[in-house]
Amino acid sequence: MGWQGIFDSSGILFTGFVNTLTLSIATIVLGTALGLVVGTLRAARVPALRAPLRIYLEVFRGSPLLVQMLFIYFGAAYLGLRGVETFIAALVALTLYEGALISEIFRAGIEAVPRGQREAARSIGLSRFQIERYVILPQTVTIVLPPLVGQYIGLVKDTALATAIGYFELVREGQAIIDRIGMPIEVFIVIGAIYFVICYPMSLVARRLEKRALHA
Amino acid sequence: MTMIELKNVHKSFDDLEVLKGVDLVVEKGEVVIIIGASGSGKSTMLRVINNLEPIQGGEVWVKGIPVHDPKRADEVHQYVGMVFQQFNLFPHLTALANVTLALKKVKKIDAQEARRMGIAALERVGLEEKADAYPAELSGGQQQRVAIARALALEPDVMLFDEATSALDPELVGEVTGVMRQLAEEGMTMLVVTHEMGFARDVGDRVVFIDEGQIAEEGPPDILFTAPSNPRTQQFLYRVLHR
Repeated sequence: MGWQGIFDSSGILFTGFVNTLTLSIATIVLGTALGLVVGTLRAARVPALRAPLRIYLEVFRGSPLLVQMLFIYFGAAYLGLRGVETFIAALVALTLYEGALISEIFRAGIEAVPRGQREAARSIGLSRFQIERYVILPQTVTIVLPPLVGQYIGLVKDTALATAIGYFELVREGQAIIDRIGMPIEVFIVIGAIYFVICYPMSLVARRLEKRALHA
Repeated sequence: MTMIELKNVHKSFDDLEVLKGVDLVVEKGEVVIIIGASGSGKSTMLRVINNLEPIQGGEVWVKGIPVHDPKRADEVHQYVGMVFQQFNLFPHLTALANVTLALKKVKKIDAQEARRMGIAALERVGLEEKADAYPAELSGGQQQRVAIARALALEPDVMLFDEATSALDPELVGEVTGVMRQLAEEGMTMLVVTHEMGFARDVGDRVVFIDEGQIAEEGPPDILFTAPSNPRTQQFLYRVLHR
Protein backbone atom coordinates (compact mmCIF):
# COMPACT_ATOMS: atom_id res chain seq x y z
CA MET A 1 0.00 0.00 0.00
CA GLY A 2 2.71 2.52 1.06
CA TRP A 3 2.23 6.20 0.33
CA GLN A 4 -0.60 5.28 -2.02
CA GLY A 5 -2.86 4.90 1.06
CA ILE A 6 -2.19 8.46 2.12
CA PHE A 7 -2.71 9.68 -1.41
CA ASP A 8 -6.09 7.93 -1.43
CA SER A 9 -6.96 9.80 1.77
CA SER A 10 -6.22 13.19 0.27
CA GLY A 11 -9.91 14.13 0.39
CA ILE A 12 -9.92 13.73 4.16
CA LEU A 13 -6.65 15.62 4.45
CA PHE A 14 -8.07 18.42 2.35
CA THR A 15 -11.09 18.71 4.64
CA GLY A 16 -8.70 18.94 7.59
CA PHE A 17 -6.66 21.57 5.78
CA VAL A 18 -9.75 23.66 5.05
CA ASN A 19 -10.98 23.35 8.65
CA THR A 20 -7.60 24.32 10.07
CA LEU A 21 -7.46 27.28 7.71
CA THR A 22 -11.02 28.37 8.54
CA LEU A 23 -10.37 28.22 12.29
CA SER A 24 -7.04 30.05 11.85
CA ILE A 25 -8.45 32.88 9.74
CA ALA A 26 -11.50 33.34 11.97
CA THR A 27 -9.22 33.48 15.02
CA ILE A 28 -6.86 35.95 13.34
CA VAL A 29 -9.76 38.29 12.55
CA LEU A 30 -11.48 38.08 15.95
CA GLY A 31 -8.31 37.79 18.02
CA THR A 32 -6.79 40.84 16.33
CA ALA A 33 -9.97 42.87 16.84
CA LEU A 34 -10.09 41.87 20.52
CA GLY A 35 -6.36 42.46 20.97
CA LEU A 36 -6.60 45.88 19.34
CA VAL A 37 -9.43 47.01 21.62
CA VAL A 38 -7.87 45.61 24.80
CA GLY A 39 -4.38 46.84 23.93
CA THR A 40 -5.61 50.35 23.10
CA LEU A 41 -7.67 50.60 26.28
CA ARG A 42 -4.78 49.34 28.39
CA ALA A 43 -2.38 51.81 26.79
CA ALA A 44 -4.90 54.61 27.38
CA ARG A 45 -4.96 53.66 31.11
CA VAL A 46 -8.68 54.11 31.53
CA PRO A 47 -8.94 53.88 35.34
CA ALA A 48 -12.23 51.97 35.51
CA LEU A 49 -11.00 49.33 33.03
CA ARG A 50 -7.54 48.88 34.43
CA ALA A 51 -8.25 46.00 36.82
CA PRO A 52 -10.69 44.00 34.64
CA LEU A 53 -8.42 44.14 31.58
CA ARG A 54 -5.42 43.15 33.65
CA ILE A 55 -7.31 40.19 35.08
CA TYR A 56 -8.42 39.12 31.60
CA LEU A 57 -4.85 39.35 30.31
CA GLU A 58 -3.24 37.47 33.16
CA VAL A 59 -5.87 34.70 33.29
CA PHE A 60 -5.76 33.91 29.60
CA ARG A 61 -2.03 34.44 29.16
CA GLY A 62 -1.27 32.52 32.33
CA SER A 63 -3.14 29.27 31.73
CA PRO A 64 -2.80 26.62 28.99
CA LEU A 65 -4.88 27.11 25.88
CA LEU A 66 -5.82 23.42 26.01
CA VAL A 67 -7.32 23.85 29.47
CA GLN A 68 -9.25 26.95 28.32
CA MET A 69 -10.60 25.10 25.33
CA LEU A 70 -11.74 22.11 27.35
CA PHE A 71 -13.21 24.43 29.97
CA ILE A 72 -15.23 26.38 27.42
CA TYR A 73 -16.39 23.29 25.55
CA PHE A 74 -17.46 21.30 28.59
CA GLY A 75 -18.50 24.42 30.48
CA ALA A 76 -20.96 25.27 27.74
CA ALA A 77 -22.38 21.77 27.89
CA TYR A 78 -22.60 21.96 31.69
CA LEU A 79 -24.52 25.24 31.47
CA GLY A 80 -26.85 23.56 28.99
CA LEU A 81 -25.91 25.95 26.19
CA ARG A 82 -27.08 24.04 23.19
CA GLY A 83 -25.52 24.46 19.81
CA VAL A 84 -22.05 25.26 21.10
CA GLU A 85 -20.36 22.98 18.65
CA THR A 86 -16.69 22.18 18.58
CA PHE A 87 -15.90 24.93 16.08
CA ILE A 88 -17.50 27.64 18.19
CA ALA A 89 -15.86 26.43 21.39
CA ALA A 90 -12.46 26.24 19.70
CA LEU A 91 -12.92 29.69 18.15
CA VAL A 92 -13.98 31.31 21.42
CA ALA A 93 -11.06 29.79 23.33
CA LEU A 94 -8.52 30.65 20.65
CA THR A 95 -9.86 34.21 20.31
CA LEU A 96 -9.66 34.87 24.06
CA TYR A 97 -6.19 33.36 24.34
CA GLU A 98 -4.63 34.88 21.22
CA GLY A 99 -6.47 38.16 21.87
CA ALA A 100 -4.67 38.43 25.22
CA LEU A 101 -1.26 37.88 23.62
CA ILE A 102 -2.05 40.21 20.69
CA SER A 103 -3.26 42.95 23.06
CA GLU A 104 0.24 43.09 24.55
CA ILE A 105 1.73 43.52 21.08
CA PHE A 106 -0.59 46.48 20.42
CA ARG A 107 -0.05 47.98 23.86
CA ALA A 108 3.73 47.89 23.45
CA GLY A 109 3.41 49.33 19.93
CA ILE A 110 1.19 52.18 21.09
CA GLU A 111 3.49 53.00 23.99
CA ALA A 112 6.45 53.11 21.59
CA VAL A 113 4.94 56.22 19.94
CA PRO A 114 6.57 59.29 21.57
CA ARG A 115 4.46 61.18 24.13
CA GLY A 116 4.86 64.41 22.17
CA GLN A 117 2.66 63.00 19.40
CA ARG A 118 -0.29 62.82 21.79
CA GLU A 119 0.39 66.30 23.13
CA ALA A 120 0.57 67.82 19.65
CA ALA A 121 -2.66 66.05 18.71
CA ARG A 122 -4.40 67.33 21.85
CA SER A 123 -3.15 70.84 21.15
CA ILE A 124 -4.89 70.94 17.78
CA GLY A 125 -8.12 69.85 19.43
CA LEU A 126 -8.46 66.19 18.46
CA SER A 127 -10.65 64.10 20.76
CA ARG A 128 -9.29 61.09 22.63
CA PHE A 129 -10.69 58.71 20.05
CA GLN A 130 -9.45 60.82 17.11
CA ILE A 131 -5.95 60.91 18.60
CA GLU A 132 -5.81 57.12 18.66
CA ARG A 133 -7.46 56.72 15.29
CA TYR A 134 -5.59 59.31 13.21
CA VAL A 135 -2.30 59.84 15.03
CA ILE A 136 -1.28 56.89 17.19
CA LEU A 137 -2.58 53.77 15.43
CA PRO A 138 -1.18 54.59 11.96
CA GLN A 139 2.25 54.94 13.56
CA THR A 140 1.71 51.77 15.54
CA VAL A 141 1.09 49.64 12.44
CA THR A 142 4.70 49.54 11.22
CA ILE A 143 5.87 48.77 14.75
CA VAL A 144 3.41 45.96 15.47
CA LEU A 145 3.19 44.24 12.09
CA PRO A 146 6.30 42.02 12.37
CA PRO A 147 5.52 40.65 15.87
CA LEU A 148 1.86 40.38 14.90
CA VAL A 149 2.58 38.11 11.93
CA GLY A 150 4.89 36.11 14.19
CA GLN A 151 1.99 35.67 16.60
CA TYR A 152 -0.24 34.51 13.72
CA ILE A 153 2.24 31.73 12.90
CA GLY A 154 2.00 30.47 16.46
CA LEU A 155 -1.77 30.83 16.27
CA VAL A 156 -2.06 28.53 13.23
CA LYS A 157 -0.20 25.82 15.13
CA ASP A 158 -2.28 26.43 18.26
CA THR A 159 -5.41 25.44 16.32
CA ALA A 160 -4.10 21.85 16.47
CA LEU A 161 -5.27 21.76 20.10
CA ALA A 162 -8.87 21.87 18.88
CA THR A 163 -8.39 18.19 18.09
CA ALA A 164 -8.83 17.57 21.83
CA ILE A 165 -12.47 18.64 21.76
CA GLY A 166 -13.13 16.77 18.52
CA TYR A 167 -12.92 19.50 15.90
CA PHE A 168 -11.96 17.94 12.59
CA GLU A 169 -8.88 19.96 11.78
CA LEU A 170 -5.68 18.54 10.28
CA VAL A 171 -4.42 16.54 13.26
CA ARG A 172 -7.81 14.97 13.92
CA GLU A 173 -8.23 14.01 10.28
CA GLY A 174 -4.72 12.56 10.33
CA GLN A 175 -5.72 10.42 13.31
CA ALA A 176 -8.74 9.24 11.34
CA ILE A 177 -6.50 8.17 8.47
CA ILE A 178 -4.11 6.39 10.84
CA ASP A 179 -7.05 4.55 12.41
CA ARG A 180 -7.92 3.25 8.96
CA ILE A 181 -4.59 2.52 7.29
CA GLY A 182 -1.93 2.81 10.00
CA MET A 183 1.35 4.37 8.90
CA PRO A 184 1.46 7.06 11.64
CA ILE A 185 4.98 8.20 10.71
CA GLU A 186 4.11 8.93 7.11
CA VAL A 187 0.80 10.54 7.97
CA PHE A 188 2.33 12.88 10.53
CA ILE A 189 5.10 13.82 8.09
CA VAL A 190 2.43 14.88 5.61
CA ILE A 191 0.46 16.75 8.31
CA GLY A 192 3.61 18.53 9.46
CA ALA A 193 4.40 19.45 5.86
CA ILE A 194 0.95 20.98 5.40
CA TYR A 195 1.40 23.17 8.51
CA PHE A 196 4.77 24.19 7.13
CA VAL A 197 3.23 25.16 3.80
CA ILE A 198 0.81 27.45 5.66
CA CYS A 199 3.34 28.92 8.07
CA TYR A 200 6.49 29.35 5.99
CA PRO A 201 5.07 32.06 3.67
CA MET A 202 3.91 33.94 6.78
CA SER A 203 7.41 33.65 8.16
CA LEU A 204 8.79 35.16 4.94
CA VAL A 205 6.29 38.02 5.19
CA ALA A 206 7.27 38.66 8.82
CA ARG A 207 10.95 38.83 7.90
CA ARG A 208 10.24 41.25 5.08
CA LEU A 209 8.15 43.53 7.30
CA GLU A 210 10.90 43.48 9.89
CA LYS A 211 13.46 44.66 7.35
CA ARG A 212 11.12 47.38 6.17
CA ALA A 213 10.44 48.52 9.73
CA LEU A 214 14.19 48.79 10.34
CA HIS A 215 14.61 51.04 7.31
CA ALA A 216 11.63 53.22 8.13
CA MET B 1 -8.56 92.83 26.67
CA THR B 2 -7.11 90.10 28.87
CA MET B 3 -6.21 86.96 26.96
CA ILE B 4 -4.55 84.84 29.63
CA GLU B 5 -4.72 85.08 33.39
CA LEU B 6 -2.95 82.86 35.91
CA LYS B 7 -3.94 83.27 39.55
CA ASN B 8 -1.74 81.74 42.24
CA VAL B 9 -1.07 78.61 40.17
CA HIS B 10 0.48 75.64 41.95
CA LYS B 11 1.71 72.61 40.08
CA SER B 12 3.51 69.56 41.47
CA PHE B 13 4.91 66.39 40.01
CA ASP B 14 4.47 63.97 42.91
CA ASP B 15 6.45 65.58 45.75
CA LEU B 16 8.23 68.13 43.58
CA GLU B 17 6.51 71.50 43.42
CA VAL B 18 7.36 73.09 40.07
CA LEU B 19 5.07 76.14 40.11
CA LYS B 20 4.78 77.82 43.50
CA GLY B 21 2.04 80.36 43.14
CA VAL B 22 2.39 81.98 39.72
CA ASP B 23 0.38 85.10 38.80
CA LEU B 24 0.47 86.36 35.24
CA VAL B 25 -1.74 88.47 33.00
CA VAL B 26 -1.26 88.61 29.24
CA GLU B 27 -3.17 91.15 27.19
CA LYS B 28 -4.32 90.64 23.60
CA GLY B 29 -1.54 91.30 21.11
CA GLU B 30 1.22 91.15 23.72
CA VAL B 31 4.43 89.22 23.11
CA VAL B 32 5.65 87.89 26.43
CA ILE B 33 9.07 86.27 26.62
CA ILE B 34 9.67 83.79 29.41
CA ILE B 35 13.21 83.16 30.53
CA GLY B 36 14.74 81.18 33.35
CA ALA B 37 17.12 78.33 34.10
CA SER B 38 16.22 74.79 33.08
CA GLY B 39 13.91 73.27 35.66
CA SER B 40 12.65 76.67 36.75
CA GLY B 41 9.10 75.84 35.62
CA LYS B 42 8.85 77.97 32.47
CA SER B 43 7.86 75.12 30.14
CA THR B 44 5.47 73.77 32.74
CA MET B 45 3.74 77.15 32.82
CA LEU B 46 3.06 76.99 29.08
CA ARG B 47 1.88 73.39 29.36
CA VAL B 48 -0.50 74.37 32.15
CA ILE B 49 -1.98 77.13 30.00
CA ASN B 50 -2.47 74.63 27.18
CA ASN B 51 -4.18 72.03 29.37
CA LEU B 52 -1.35 69.51 29.04
CA GLU B 53 -0.78 69.39 32.80
CA PRO B 54 -3.41 69.45 35.54
CA ILE B 55 -2.76 71.94 38.35
CA GLN B 56 -3.10 71.42 42.09
CA GLY B 57 -4.12 74.92 43.02
CA GLY B 58 -5.08 78.31 41.63
CA GLU B 59 -6.85 79.32 38.45
CA VAL B 60 -5.97 79.47 34.77
CA TRP B 61 -8.17 81.52 32.45
CA VAL B 62 -7.75 81.70 28.68
CA LYS B 63 -10.22 83.91 26.80
CA GLY B 64 -12.73 83.42 29.59
CA ILE B 65 -12.36 79.63 29.69
CA PRO B 66 -11.51 78.12 33.08
CA VAL B 67 -8.68 75.74 32.13
CA HIS B 68 -8.47 74.64 35.78
CA ASP B 69 -11.95 73.15 35.40
CA PRO B 70 -11.50 69.65 33.88
CA LYS B 71 -15.01 69.78 32.44
CA ARG B 72 -14.23 72.81 30.29
CA ALA B 73 -10.46 72.62 29.90
CA ASP B 74 -10.56 71.07 26.42
CA GLU B 75 -12.23 74.19 25.02
CA VAL B 76 -8.87 75.95 25.32
CA HIS B 77 -7.56 74.10 22.26
CA GLN B 78 -9.90 76.12 20.04
CA TYR B 79 -8.05 79.30 20.93
CA VAL B 80 -4.48 78.28 21.70
CA GLY B 81 -1.83 76.97 19.32
CA MET B 82 1.37 75.42 20.64
CA VAL B 83 4.77 74.81 19.11
CA PHE B 84 7.08 72.28 20.76
CA GLN B 85 10.83 71.93 21.07
CA GLN B 86 10.75 68.58 19.26
CA PHE B 87 8.33 69.78 16.53
CA ASN B 88 6.06 66.75 17.09
CA LEU B 89 4.91 66.61 13.50
CA PHE B 90 2.97 63.46 12.63
CA PRO B 91 5.58 61.43 10.73
CA HIS B 92 3.07 59.32 8.77
CA LEU B 93 1.40 62.40 7.24
CA THR B 94 2.66 64.88 4.63
CA ALA B 95 3.26 68.51 5.60
CA LEU B 96 -0.12 69.47 4.16
CA ALA B 97 -1.91 66.57 5.86
CA ASN B 98 -0.35 67.59 9.19
CA VAL B 99 -1.81 71.06 8.71
CA THR B 100 -5.26 69.95 7.51
CA LEU B 101 -5.90 67.07 9.95
CA ALA B 102 -7.62 69.18 12.60
CA LEU B 103 -9.36 71.35 9.98
CA LYS B 104 -11.06 68.24 8.67
CA LYS B 105 -11.59 66.25 11.86
CA VAL B 106 -12.17 68.95 14.47
CA LYS B 107 -13.59 71.85 12.47
CA LYS B 108 -15.33 69.50 10.00
CA ILE B 109 -14.25 71.57 7.00
CA ASP B 110 -14.60 69.74 3.68
CA ALA B 111 -11.47 68.38 2.02
CA GLN B 112 -11.22 70.97 -0.75
CA GLU B 113 -11.59 73.98 1.52
CA ALA B 114 -9.27 72.41 4.12
CA ARG B 115 -6.66 71.95 1.40
CA ARG B 116 -6.96 75.60 0.39
CA MET B 117 -6.59 76.73 4.01
CA GLY B 118 -3.71 74.32 4.55
CA ILE B 119 -1.79 75.66 1.53
CA ALA B 120 -2.46 79.22 2.74
CA ALA B 121 -1.03 78.33 6.17
CA LEU B 122 2.05 76.78 4.56
CA GLU B 123 2.47 79.95 2.48
CA ARG B 124 2.60 81.99 5.67
CA VAL B 125 5.68 80.05 6.73
CA GLY B 126 7.09 79.96 3.18
CA LEU B 127 6.73 76.22 2.65
CA GLU B 128 3.88 75.82 0.16
CA GLU B 129 6.24 73.97 -2.22
CA LYS B 130 6.84 71.33 0.49
CA ALA B 131 3.15 70.50 0.89
CA ASP B 132 3.57 66.90 -0.22
CA ALA B 133 6.83 66.19 1.62
CA TYR B 134 6.89 63.97 4.68
CA PRO B 135 8.49 65.32 7.89
CA ALA B 136 11.50 63.01 7.50
CA GLU B 137 12.25 64.70 4.16
CA LEU B 138 12.38 68.17 5.74
CA SER B 139 15.14 69.93 7.67
CA GLY B 140 14.58 70.71 11.35
CA GLY B 141 13.82 74.35 10.55
CA GLN B 142 11.31 73.37 7.89
CA GLN B 143 9.66 70.87 10.22
CA GLN B 144 9.27 73.52 12.88
CA ARG B 145 7.77 75.94 10.35
CA VAL B 146 5.26 73.26 9.31
CA ALA B 147 4.45 72.80 13.00
CA ILE B 148 3.80 76.54 13.24
CA ALA B 149 1.59 76.36 10.13
CA ARG B 150 -0.32 73.44 11.67
CA ALA B 151 -1.17 75.63 14.66
CA LEU B 152 -1.87 78.77 12.60
CA ALA B 153 -4.28 76.99 10.26
CA LEU B 154 -6.74 76.77 13.17
CA GLU B 155 -6.65 80.56 13.54
CA PRO B 156 -5.69 80.63 17.22
CA ASP B 157 -5.89 83.77 19.37
CA VAL B 158 -2.75 82.82 21.29
CA MET B 159 0.43 81.05 20.24
CA LEU B 160 2.68 79.30 22.77
CA PHE B 161 6.29 78.57 21.81
CA ASP B 162 8.08 76.08 24.06
CA GLU B 163 11.78 76.43 23.22
CA ALA B 164 10.86 76.26 19.56
CA THR B 165 14.44 76.74 18.36
CA SER B 166 16.37 74.79 21.01
CA ALA B 167 16.55 71.56 19.00
CA LEU B 168 17.71 73.28 15.81
CA ASP B 169 21.17 73.57 14.34
CA PRO B 170 22.33 77.19 14.81
CA GLU B 171 22.10 78.03 11.10
CA LEU B 172 18.42 76.99 11.06
CA VAL B 173 17.32 79.11 14.02
CA GLY B 174 16.87 82.26 11.93
CA GLU B 175 14.22 80.87 9.60
CA VAL B 176 12.03 79.93 12.59
CA THR B 177 12.54 83.14 14.57
CA GLY B 178 11.83 84.97 11.28
CA VAL B 179 8.38 83.43 11.13
CA MET B 180 7.84 84.24 14.81
CA ARG B 181 8.83 87.88 14.27
CA GLN B 182 6.38 88.15 11.41
CA LEU B 183 3.62 86.70 13.61
CA ALA B 184 4.41 89.22 16.34
CA GLU B 185 4.22 92.07 13.84
CA GLU B 186 0.80 90.84 12.72
CA GLY B 187 -0.39 91.31 16.28
CA MET B 188 -0.53 87.71 17.48
CA THR B 189 -0.64 87.22 21.23
CA MET B 190 2.44 85.15 22.00
CA LEU B 191 4.06 83.46 24.98
CA VAL B 192 7.59 82.47 24.09
CA VAL B 193 9.91 80.35 26.21
CA THR B 194 13.33 80.86 24.66
CA HIS B 195 17.06 81.10 25.17
CA GLU B 196 17.44 83.39 22.13
CA MET B 197 18.14 86.62 23.99
CA GLY B 198 18.51 88.67 20.80
CA PHE B 199 15.04 87.64 19.70
CA ALA B 200 13.67 88.29 23.19
CA ARG B 201 15.05 91.81 23.20
CA ASP B 202 13.84 92.69 19.69
CA VAL B 203 10.40 91.13 19.68
CA GLY B 204 9.28 90.93 23.29
CA ASP B 205 6.90 93.53 24.75
CA ARG B 206 7.61 92.14 28.18
CA VAL B 207 10.11 89.71 29.65
CA VAL B 208 9.22 87.45 32.56
CA PHE B 209 12.01 85.82 34.56
CA ILE B 210 11.00 82.64 36.36
CA ASP B 211 13.10 81.31 39.17
CA GLU B 212 12.34 78.18 41.19
CA GLY B 213 8.69 78.10 40.25
CA GLN B 214 7.94 81.76 40.84
CA ILE B 215 8.02 84.91 38.78
CA ALA B 216 11.04 86.67 40.18
CA GLU B 217 10.98 89.74 37.96
CA GLU B 218 9.20 91.10 34.92
CA GLY B 219 9.42 94.20 32.79
CA PRO B 220 10.10 95.64 29.35
CA PRO B 221 13.09 93.96 27.67
CA ASP B 222 15.34 97.03 27.52
CA ILE B 223 15.01 97.52 31.27
CA LEU B 224 15.10 93.89 32.34
CA PHE B 225 18.09 93.03 30.17
CA THR B 226 20.15 96.12 30.97
CA ALA B 227 19.18 96.94 34.53
CA PRO B 228 17.59 93.96 36.28
CA SER B 229 16.77 94.67 39.90
CA ASN B 230 16.60 91.12 41.25
CA PRO B 231 20.04 89.60 41.99
CA ARG B 232 18.82 86.20 40.70
CA THR B 233 17.95 87.80 37.37
CA GLN B 234 21.34 89.49 37.26
CA GLN B 235 23.06 86.15 37.89
CA PHE B 236 21.01 84.34 35.27
CA LEU B 237 21.53 86.98 32.60
CA TYR B 238 25.23 87.16 33.34
CA ARG B 239 25.50 83.42 32.81
CA VAL B 240 23.55 83.28 29.52
CA LEU B 241 24.98 86.45 28.00
CA HIS B 242 28.61 85.65 28.81
CA ARG B 243 28.73 82.03 27.74
